This record gives sequence, C-alpha cells and structure tokens, in this order.
Amino acid sequence: MAQSTTLDEPIGGLMEGVTDSLNSDLVQSRATGEPEWLRNRRLDAWASYERTPMPTTRLEEWRYTDLSRKLSLDALTPMEWSERAFDRESAPARMAEAMEADHESSGHVVEIDGTVAHVDLDADLAAKGVVLTSLRSAVEDHPELLEEYLATRALPADRGKFQALNAALWTDGIFLHVPRGVRLEHPVRVTRWLSEEGKALFSRTLIVAAEASQVSYVDEILSDDMEVQSLVSSAVEVFAGNGAQVQYVSLQRLGHGPFHLSQQRTIAGKDATLDTLNVNMGATTARLDLNAQLLGSGANSDMLGLCFGEGDQHFDHNTSQDHVAPHAYSDLLYKGALDGRARSVFRGIIKVHKGAQQTDAYQTNRNLLLSEEARADSLPNLEIEADDVRCSHGATVGQLDQDHLFYLMSRGLSRTEAERLVVIGFLGEVLSKLPLGGVVEKISRAVEAKLNV
Amino acid sequence: MPQNDTIQDLGLDEYQYHFITEDEPVFRSGRGLNEKVVREISAQKDEPEWMLEFRLKALEIYNAKPMPTWGGDLSNLENVLDEIYFYVRPQEKMERSWDDVPPNIKETFERLGIPEAEQKVLAGVGAQYESEMVYHSLKKEWDEKGVIFDSIEDGLKNHPELFREHFGTVIPSADNKFSAMNSAVWSGGSFVYIPKGVELDTPLQAYFRVNQEQMGQFERTLIIADEGSKAHYIEGCTAPVYSTESFHSGVIEIVVKPGAHFRYTTIQNWSNNMYNLVTQRALVHENATMEWLDGNLGSKLTMKYPSCYLMGEGAHGSILSIAYSGDGQHQDTGGKVIHAAPNTTSQIVSKSISKGTGRSTYRGLCQVHEGAINSKSNVECDALLINDTSRTDTYPYIEIEEKKSNIGHEATVSKVGDEQLFYLMSRGMDEAEAMALIVRGFIEPIAKLLPLEYAVELNRLIELEMEGSVG
Amino acid sequence: MSDTPILSIRDVHAKVADEDTEILHGVDLELGKGEIHAIMGPNGSGKSTLAKILAGHPGYEVTAGSITYKGEDILEAEPDERSKAGIFLAFQYPVEIPGVSIANFLRTALQSREEEGGELDLFDFQDELLARMELLGMDASFAERPVNDGFSGGEKKRNEILQMAMLRPELALMDETDSGLDIDALQVVADGVNKLHQENPDMTVLIITHYQRLLNYLKPHFVHVMVKGKLVRSGGPEVAEELEARGYEEFKTVEA
Repeated sequence: MAQSTTLDEPIGGLMEGVTDSLNSDLVQSRATGEPEWLRNRRLDAWASYERTPMPTTRLEEWRYTDLSRKLSLDALTPMEWSERAFDRESAPARMAEAMEADHESSGHVVEIDGTVAHVDLDADLAAKGVVLTSLRSAVEDHPELLEEYLATRALPADRGKFQALNAALWTDGIFLHVPRGVRLEHPVRVTRWLSEEGKALFSRTLIVAAEASQVSYVDEILSDDMEVQSLVSSAVEVFAGNGAQVQYVSLQRLGHGPFHLSQQRTIAGKDATLDTLNVNMGATTARLDLNAQLLGSGANSDMLGLCFGEGDQHFDHNTSQDHVAPHAYSDLLYKGALDGRARSVFRGIIKVHKGAQQTDAYQTNRNLLLSEEARADSLPNLEIEADDVRCSHGATVGQLDQDHLFYLMSRGLSRTEAERLVVIGFLGEVLSKLPLGGVVEKISRAVEAKLNV
Repeated sequence: MPQNDTIQDLGLDEYQYHFITEDEPVFRSGRGLNEKVVREISAQKDEPEWMLEFRLKALEIYNAKPMPTWGGDLSNLENVLDEIYFYVRPQEKMERSWDDVPPNIKETFERLGIPEAEQKVLAGVGAQYESEMVYHSLKKEWDEKGVIFDSIEDGLKNHPELFREHFGTVIPSADNKFSAMNSAVWSGGSFVYIPKGVELDTPLQAYFRVNQEQMGQFERTLIIADEGSKAHYIEGCTAPVYSTESFHSGVIEIVVKPGAHFRYTTIQNWSNNMYNLVTQRALVHENATMEWLDGNLGSKLTMKYPSCYLMGEGAHGSILSIAYSGDGQHQDTGGKVIHAAPNTTSQIVSKSISKGTGRSTYRGLCQVHEGAINSKSNVECDALLINDTSRTDTYPYIEIEEKKSNIGHEATVSKVGDEQLFYLMSRGMDEAEAMALIVRGFIEPIAKLLPLEYAVELNRLIELEMEGSVG
Repeated sequence: MSDTPILSIRDVHAKVADEDTEILHGVDLELGKGEIHAIMGPNGSGKSTLAKILAGHPGYEVTAGSITYKGEDILEAEPDERSKAGIFLAFQYPVEIPGVSIANFLRTALQSREEEGGELDLFDFQDELLARMELLGMDASFAERPVNDGFSGGEKKRNEILQMAMLRPELALMDETDSGLDIDALQVVADGVNKLHQENPDMTVLIITHYQRLLNYLKPHFVHVMVKGKLVRSGGPEVAEELEARGYEEFKTVEA
C-alpha cells in the first residue's frame, strides 16, 4: 500500500465542484464591502467547500441520489444580486395565484431570483421589536445577531459540501427575529420566485425566536417549467428559545427543471416547540436535509413531510431527529405518493445520545406507488444510546388499497375519482396535523391538479 | 426433561466453556494469508485443478477488495489476520464410527454436552473440530434414501459433478471481501444433498468449535435441497476464550429447489474475542420455502445477514433472529430478502438485547424488483435495552420498484420496565430472576421455534447473563 | 384471631420517591391473624400508596414510622423478600409480561420460594395449578396464555386471584381489585377470595377500595376510612354502610 509522504491530507480528488463560474473569485466578489466577520466566514466556508469531496453514492447519505447524473454544476452561472422592485400587478401568473391564496398574515416577503424585492410587516409587531428584513439589510442593521447565528450553530460550513457552498456564496435571504414573549397571531408568508434558467442561486433563511415567543413561517418557492437546469440552494436555520413555539413550513412548488437543495436545521431549547412541514411537489430533483436538534429538556418537534411525484421527479429526504437533551419528544411523519417514473427516497434517523433519557421519538414513513415505474426507498434508522426511551419507527410501501377503491366505486365513483379521493386522504393526514391557514387548501389543490394531469 | 432448570443442575458454568483439550494438529499452515498457503491447503486436500484455480482467483479478489468501512469496527482486523493460521488439520482421516473418535476429542464433545446416547436422537453428527470434519455418522435409512451429509471435502471428492454445479453459484467469491477470503482458504464444513421428495423428520446437526489459539476457521457449507424435499439443518458452536483476538469467516450456500422446504438454524456462542464474519445465502426457487433461524450470543463482533433470494414464483423466505450483546460485544446482524419473482413473500423478525456496553445493530435489506408483483414482506425489529450504557441501532433498507407489492417495517425499542420488575419481585423472584424471565418472554416468539435442547440452552445462557446485570 | 398482630403500621409517613410532597401523613393500623379489613377512601386519599409501600414498591419512600410484619421490621426488605415472607399484593393494574405464560411465571415464582438447591416438583406443580384453577372455575388453557398480555380487565383480576391461590400468602393486600370490573366479574373475583379465606382462615386480608359494592361480597370484620393520607375513622362493617349512605364529604370535613 502506498504511504503518504507528508502529513497533509492527500490532494487528489479535491477542488471538486469548483467550476469556471463557481470559484474563489466569485467568493471574493461576494465578500467585497462586507464586514470583516462575514468576509472571513465566506472565505472559510469556501475553503471548506474546496477541501470537501463531492458526495457520491458511496456515501450512505447520498446512496440513492447520484449527483454526477442529477446535477450539472459546470453548466451553471451564478445568480447575482440586483436591485429589484416587486409589482403585484405584473407578477407571473403562478406567483400571483400563490399569493392570492394566502390569507391573514403578520408580514410578507417577496424574493425574486435570490434578491429580496419586497418586505412588509404589521406595524404593531414592528413596534414590539419584531424584525423581518432581507438578510443583506440585516448585515447592516443587526450585525450582532447575525454574527452569532448565521452559519454558525445550526448550519456551519463544515456540516457538508453544500452547506459550505451556500455559506460562501449566498446573495440574500430572509431574517426574522421575534423578541422575547412576542406572539404572532398570523403566519409570516414568504414567496420566492425563480425565473432564470442555468443559474445557481444561493439564499438563506435565519429565524430566531426568543424565549416564550410564538411564530409560524411559511416559505413558498415557485417557478415555471424550465428547459435548462437551475440549482436553487436554500439554507434554513431556525432557533426556538426556551418555551418558544415555532412552526416552519416549506412549500416547494417549483416547475419542472430545477434542482432544489434545501438544507434545514432546527434547534429547540428547553420546553420549546419547533414543528416543521416540508412539502415537495415540484422541481425535477429535490433534496431535503433536515436536522432537528432537541437541545433543551422538554423540547418538542413534530416533523411532517409530504411529497407527490410524477414524470421523472426524484425526491430525496434525509432527516435526523437529534435527541441531545432528556425528556424531549419528536414525532416524524413523512408520506409520499408517486406516479409516473417518480422516485422518492426517505432516509431518516432517530439518534438518542447518551444521557437523553426519557426520550420519546417516533418516525413513520409511508409511500403509495401509483404506477408501474414509480419507486420508493425507505431507510428509517435508529441509533439509541440511552436505555430509558420510547422509540419506534415504521415504514410501508404499498399500492392503493383495493378495498377502499372498491368501496368508493360501489358507491358510484369512477376509478379515477376514487383514486383521487384515496390519494388526497392519504396525504391529507399529514396536512391535518399542521392546519395553517392557506397551506392546506393550497397543497390539496396542487395535489388535485397533479392527479388530473 | 424439565424446562425450568437452575444453572448448577445443568452443570453449565463459565469454566466449562473455557476449557481447552490438548491435541496435536497433523498439519498447520504458516501465519498469514498468501498464495503459498492457498496452494498448500489445496495440495493437502488433494483437490482437482479447478478448485485450486478457484481458490487462487478468490485470493486475487480478496487482495483487491478494501476492508468494509460500515458495520462493526474492523480497524484491528488486519493485525489479527496477519497473526492467524489459515489452515489446521487435526487428523488424517474422516471417522465414521463414534468408537474410532480419539479420546481427547470425545472428551471435548462430552464437555460440550453431546453424549453418545444422543446419537439415537440426532440424525447425523457432523462435528467440526478445528478445521475439518473428524466425526460423521448418518442414520442408515437416510443412506438408503440417498441423503448425502458429508464433510465438504468428501462432497468434492465423491460427488464432483453435483458439487461443481452448485459450488460458488449462490455466493460468488467476489460477493464481499470475506466471501473471497473464504473461497481462497475454505476448509471444513458440510456438504448436504436432500434428494427429490425426501422429507427428514429429525434435524441434521453439526456441532463445531474452534480450539486452536489464533486459528482462523473458514468453514464452507453447500446444501442442495432438491425438488419437494424437506429438511432442517442445525449448526451450533461454542469456542473457548483466548487472550488474543480470533477470527471466523464462513460461507453457507443453500439451493432450495422448487417446492422444497429448508430450515437452517445457527446458535452462535463464540467467545468474546472472536470476529465472526459470515455470509449465508439461499436461492429459493418456485414455491419453495427457506427459513433462517439465527441466534447470535457470543463473539466480539458478528457481521452476519442471512439472505433469501426469492427467484421463483411463490417462493417464501423467513429470517428470524435473536441477538444478545453483552459488555464489549457488537452484534451487527439482520437479514436480506430479495423479491425477484411474482407472488413471493418474506418475513423478518429480529429481537435484540443489549446489556452493559453491548451494542446490537439490525441491518436489513428488503428489495422488490420490478415485475415481482404481489410480493409481500413484513419486517419487525424489537430491541430491549438493559442498561443506560447499552446501545441499539436499526438500519433497514427498503427498496421498492414494484407498485403491486405490500411492504412493511416496524421497530420498537424498550427497556425492562420498573413496574414489570416490581410485579415479578412482589411474587417472590429476585431481580436477576425477574429480569431473566422478562428477557425470555421477549425472545419467546423465536425461541419456541428452536428444538427443545437449544431452547433450554438459550434460556440457561440468558439466566447466566442476567446474573450480572443488576445491582 | 390472635393477640399479636400479623401487621402493625405505626405513624407511617410516605411520599413518592422523586418528589417532596407527602402522601401519607401518619397512618396507624393493626391487622390480626385471619382478620379481614377494608380501607375505603376517595381517589387520591393515599390508600393505594399504603398498599404499595406494604409490598415494597421502589417508587415510594417511607419517611417516618414503622411497619412490622410478624414482629419484624420489613421496611428495608426487597419486594421479593416480602413476597417470600408471605405478603401478597393483588395489583390494581396488573403488568403485562409478553411471551411468558402464566404457568411458567408461577413455576418461576414457586421455584424461587424453594430452599437453596431445592427443586420444585413439576408434576406436583402441574397438579396443584390445575386444582387451583378448578377451585376458581378457570379453564385449564388459561395457564398457557402470556401473563396479562391482551387480557380483559376481568381476566387480569382473575389472574391475580389465581396467583394468590398458588402462592398461599399469609397477608393478602387487595388494591382496588374491584376497579374496572362489571358486577359478574366482581362476584367471580370475590368468590375466589372467599374460598381462599375459608380454606385458610388464618390468612389476613386487607381490601382497598373506593366503593362499597365489593364489600357486599367480601365481608370485612373491620372498616377504616382514609382521607387525605390519614385514617379518619375505624369501626365495624357498619362504617361501610354509613359511607354508602352519606358519601365521603362528611369525613372530609370531620378530618379538617
């Protein structure tokens, strides 16, 4: 066996994913004019990106998603930040329709092609100290909070190749801060729109909910169908302070074409509730990395997920229920319905660390295959290092229940109609657990639209 | 025989499982694995040329394959492998009658609790002592039925065509690093053939053990259950404890032909310094049934995933396993079922117990290929944790390409409840007895499928292990 | 009835092991050999706690006072030692032990009562088990079912009585044995206890119950009323009738 002659890491295979457009010059240009802490953070992240090998299917976490076939980094050019105005009247139809369906809200953000174009926030909430702003402005106005929370405790660059890439290259994003004890009655609604093909877009979301505060946040991303692939990289960091109640909802409704990469980490403090819902309807390839850390004792996380795939869509969900503290609770339910040649992957892990006694952790993944070519892979894993725990997991893959169909058809429904009802019922279980205004209707309609294709 | 026995009554104490008898191997290879060793093994066994070539090719594959980086901790294995002897043969000749078995080896068997009288019960005893079969007996009527239960070496010599037709077809050398190793240096094991339509009521049993310090054991078993036949094969092993690490890597190939029914039972209780890396696989044809019953109690690290490849329509596979991990032990076990034909069904039930710093891992694969319509699979994993230093993991891979299938997986993790313990203690049992009773109840669904003597032995082992779990 | 009490409880204070709140605030009670006593009280009065500390439940802690059984202090004794000494607790919520048959369970329990090295005779055991089940009107197949696993409420309670019949205690504590039972099941259970008491009139029984109805079938010699962790009234069977007529409210105010 060949011996390395130096103590350094071997060089071979590194600098992977550095392209003509995505390179250190780009990082330098993004960092220009930024405060020193941020500039250093970007440069460190880039260094981390360069030395981390590109994930391959040999890596357990990427076993079922072959990036060398699914993502053409070489062909992408970076999406640049540019001053934009948002005008509701001239918004693309899909975007306008989505915003139309949003009911009451505490505030809105519109992000177009990686640039925040519009922010509004209820005046009373602003008076109470709630901050809802673009990440770029937050760098100017709230440097101390950003320095503490941005790409540090939740998604630091060293968590992985793409975490590093986003931390080095983000152009803009959203910052929400809810001060201690402030409760938002209605959700904050974010609409993000992608219009350009062949781009690599990097956006971040940072939510800091202080002690005993309460907030729901709906993060919707849309686009039209595209011929040429774009990469949308979203990094989402959510902090719930002690006793805070936070809901984060991601609605991914991109058109056909893009590769969506959503990396999320939620950190729940003592007695905090931090629930998430991830809906994947669109994009050609969508990868979700979600790590929910139960950091404080008595923390709670409900983790819900739903996907509906058709055509050649490929969804890959990689979740982690990370129980660090004792007496915490997490319950995950991910469901997928797959038509056409669509494929869904669920790889979830419940990790109970030493000392996390009295953990209650549950994990369920259910898949419905609607066509001959659809495929579902499920890996519900457990790693338990404490003995006084209640953990269980389950996974099923199956087809539509023939008895259900028969029952409905014997009452006069057509097969298609019966199938539609059963699928909506199947996915509806997830939505019923997080009944946020606007979300349920929106998703139900989107599922129906897909079923009618 | 009463099922409720105390440890003393049955004479099962730790000492008995650590004994070593003195014997003189006839041939002993040098340490480490290289071409010279492989050629020597083949020459010693007077093998045909094709087998030597098979071994040498496997050695190449072994050298080319990297050590697995998943599963258990194999970081010290290279050192272990450098130190072990890859071949030891204690005697020149196979024995046919009990009277001919040398006294020191007999003594070993007796201490393991296989008295002569049991020959009447046992269908045939193929006992592997060190690397080779030294004792073999087979009931007369089975000879008449055409059942073959031989050492693997004799299988090769006496049934060359049947042997060559199937050998290495279920588990190719290149399947994994350790199947390659075994293919290069295999020695000992059984060759079994059950002719068409023959049903055996009493199980075939092979008792074997490792007895030579730093000696690797590479048993190779090939079983062919011909159409419509039915049989049960039992393998059980104990090994004495040594101070240096030891190594066992077997390959078990089973072909279950259409309509046949075969059950393979293993109770593994290697001493706690053993690396036990075994590949077990069955090809299950049309309307045939294969059942693996797997008990892993001993070893330092076991990596073993009995597999059923359901190749023919209507085939059924079942994998039932019990794992016990005590201090310093890691049982990385589970099973694989591949549904490659329509109307195939499978079931995996895994029960693990982790005590002290023990770690039990379930690692399983359930794959349904496109076209394997109406496949059904059900997987259940239950883990019991005894102490707060114990660990359990579950890694089930579920890969489904066929919509007309029905696949489910469920797992639970629990600890022995305080309320359960109090209930039993309020009926007069002490804590260890109460714990043992709960653990026995936990594995009961699988233990009840074992032949009585194995179930009794399993219960005794659990009682022993629970003694130290409390206080 | 004898002069030396079989059980003597003196000024017992107790609390949940991990908490500070005291549940029993000084309980005094003496049970003579062969007597049947009932402790009645509303929910949360502490009567089940008393039953549990008598059996040595690790979840409770006796902070003051003494409990002597047959003249010996048993506070430090483990639950299994108390059981072997003849104390039996019929649980309010019997625990499920999956995979362990009732027969196997009882055999293990009886084996643990044997002297060191002694071996329970399995044939005798089998005969005894069948006889006891017959006495209690139970089907023989019952013994092969896993302990309480998938049992109805009535089956669980009957299983407790079967265990009591097999273990032949000198002091039987019946913790809310009537809870969750319909009147038929209640009668069957009470019948069983009566038979066992007739068979062994020296057996002392302490019934813990919320309702008077069990006492229609199981006639106590003495009735005590527990309210807020103290015995506030003791007397003959008439106390139960008084309670039935007037409820616990009156005792609560008396106590206050």
